[in-house]
Amino acid sequence: MMIRVSKQELLELPSLLSAMGYSVIAPIRTGGIVKLAPLGSDIQPELEYVRVVNSPKKFLLPDDELLFRYRSTATITSYGLKIRFPTAEGPCPVAILPEYNPVRERLALFGIHQCMVNSVRYLDTVMLRDPADPYYKNRRDGMFIAELDCDAGDEYCMCRTLGTYKVPAGYADIRMRKSGDGYLIEEATEAGKELLSKLKRQDVKGKYPISVPKMVKDFELVTRDDQEIDAKEASRSLVACTLCAACTVTCPTCYCMDIEDKFSLIDPSNVGRTRTKMSCQRRCYSTIAGGTTFLAAKEERFKWRVKHKFPFSINAFKLVGCTGCGNCIACCPAGIDFREFVGRRVA
Amino acid sequence: MIQESLEKMNPYIPKPATVIAVKNESLETKTLRLELYNWRTDFVPGQFVQLLLPGVGEAPFCIASSQSDQKHIDLTIIRRGILTTSVHYLRPGDAVGIRGPFGKPFPLEALEDRDLLIIATGIGIAALKSLIIYAVENRKRFNNVMLLYGARFIEDLVYRDELKQWEKSIDASITLSKAPPEWQGLRGRVTDHLGALNIGKGTVAAVCGSPTVMSSIADALVVHGISTSDIYVSLERHMKCGIGKCARCLIPGGKHVCTDGPVFRLSEISAGAIGE
Repeated sequence: MMIRVSKQELLELPSLLSAMGYSVIAPIRTGGIVKLAPLGSDIQPELEYVRVVNSPKKFLLPDDELLFRYRSTATITSYGLKIRFPTAEGPCPVAILPEYNPVRERLALFGIHQCMVNSVRYLDTVMLRDPADPYYKNRRDGMFIAELDCDAGDEYCMCRTLGTYKVPAGYADIRMRKSGDGYLIEEATEAGKELLSKLKRQDVKGKYPISVPKMVKDFELVTRDDQEIDAKEASRSLVACTLCAACTVTCPTCYCMDIEDKFSLIDPSNVGRTRTKMSCQRRCYSTIAGGTTFLAAKEERFKWRVKHKFPFSINAFKLVGCTGCGNCIACCPAGIDFREFVGRRVA
Repeated sequence: MIQESLEKMNPYIPKPATVIAVKNESLETKTLRLELYNWRTDFVPGQFVQLLLPGVGEAPFCIASSQSDQKHIDLTIIRRGILTTSVHYLRPGDAVGIRGPFGKPFPLEALEDRDLLIIATGIGIAALKSLIIYAVENRKRFNNVMLLYGARFIEDLVYRDELKQWEKSIDASITLSKAPPEWQGLRGRVTDHLGALNIGKGTVAAVCGSPTVMSSIADALVVHGISTSDIYVSLERHMKCGIGKCARCLIPGGKHVCTDGPVFRLSEISAGAIGE
């Protein structure tokens, strides 16, 4: 089913979604940037945008996530913090009793572009392969994706080269695109059908148009092999890199994580096992006990990021890890462009 | 019951274990004997577990005990960082958490009926101890079993009691690169003594040590005529999740040490995956 609606009617969809029990996340323009954020009742989602600085990753894999809590025997003494390991009385110890209560929240991503839908596909491939990550699965199950077609990218986009302007089947529940002064909406799943039935509109004849977004700079991919990337000279273009890790923070598919035990000094025995984001641009990413660091140089870390997106992901998941969104280039304070590293400019 | 289903559902939840014995191996190394509380592992030599110290954190360690006893596991831990230092304060009776076992083990059937060469340097012997015990316990399944163990100083040697036991059934030799004058055994690096061993095309090798040493051993073994598909290396990375989700243990080529390893055939991994 495909329907035609006006912009005003399209903007009713988020409230319909929240009425269906979803917490709606949509692109919102604040302070000159567009970012994905929970949609309040008085905020309008932004529809005419090119890039969002964050990505669905922020909601599917939060930056700081509590896995479970447990009690340790840490106490504050006059000497400072003291951790005494729980001592058992008899053969069976009190042991670690993890407390974990999964909170079920149905998310709806409204108005995200094709590249971001593809990033959800990549995260699914990584997180849901056996054994599935229970925290990710809990949020991903029953999620609603309302995709908004992007017609023209900016100077950092590369989805045309990678083919990520196509929405993989089963990942978007409805697809929307601007057409004339209104919008065309096509349902793609049962959940999408349910939503569109609430708009009570007549079917429009014809096929949902497929268009390739216009790119400001067109690239073709020339290097995607492990050894080829290693052999390339990158040190000159990386002089300006400050290792700020903005590339990995804004990347919609960077999922490297750290798992740590955290507690507050007010109640040190209440320990939370938390999962935080980790960046391969940091030295501690690859440091092992004894101080051996596998990725010691800036150049190695940059190449590692590119290799993780291309050869490593192709080998491990049969999927390219880059969705061509260009966030890593747009947000880089040093203006480092990985497209020039793996691709060649096409006139 | 609730606890059990929680663990089945959630691989991040640790299972309880108690320290029942702590053995000083060397100045910096201790072996913990853990009793698993109401559960048992089904580990195969080469696999690792995540050890949780309440309030400190979690780190991966290879199981260093016999496969025949699945109610207890031994972990040999050298003092290197915050967690491993805390491990050294553990006493019998303390409670810890265990997740695992994780990873692909040594393919024991592929090793049987062949000459087995085990090369360990430094604390790397802890990762190979379960394989050594397996070879000792099932001596008849292997042709010739050789253990070459290298350390820097005499104080660094671990498993002294066990080595005496193992020597009775397998061909074990120790080499020290900074040996004291009174040292009777071999001197120098392990790679200096490969020529003296009876190794050839039929030999299969298991190697573990620090990354730099391991890559030089692997190169030397290839020179001595062992094919790369017969060399098994046990790699070390700081694995956080153990189930291939955190990507901290990714090695060149896109393999995860926690799910595709930690034991790899040398032919499976690309050059540079071992060393720095």
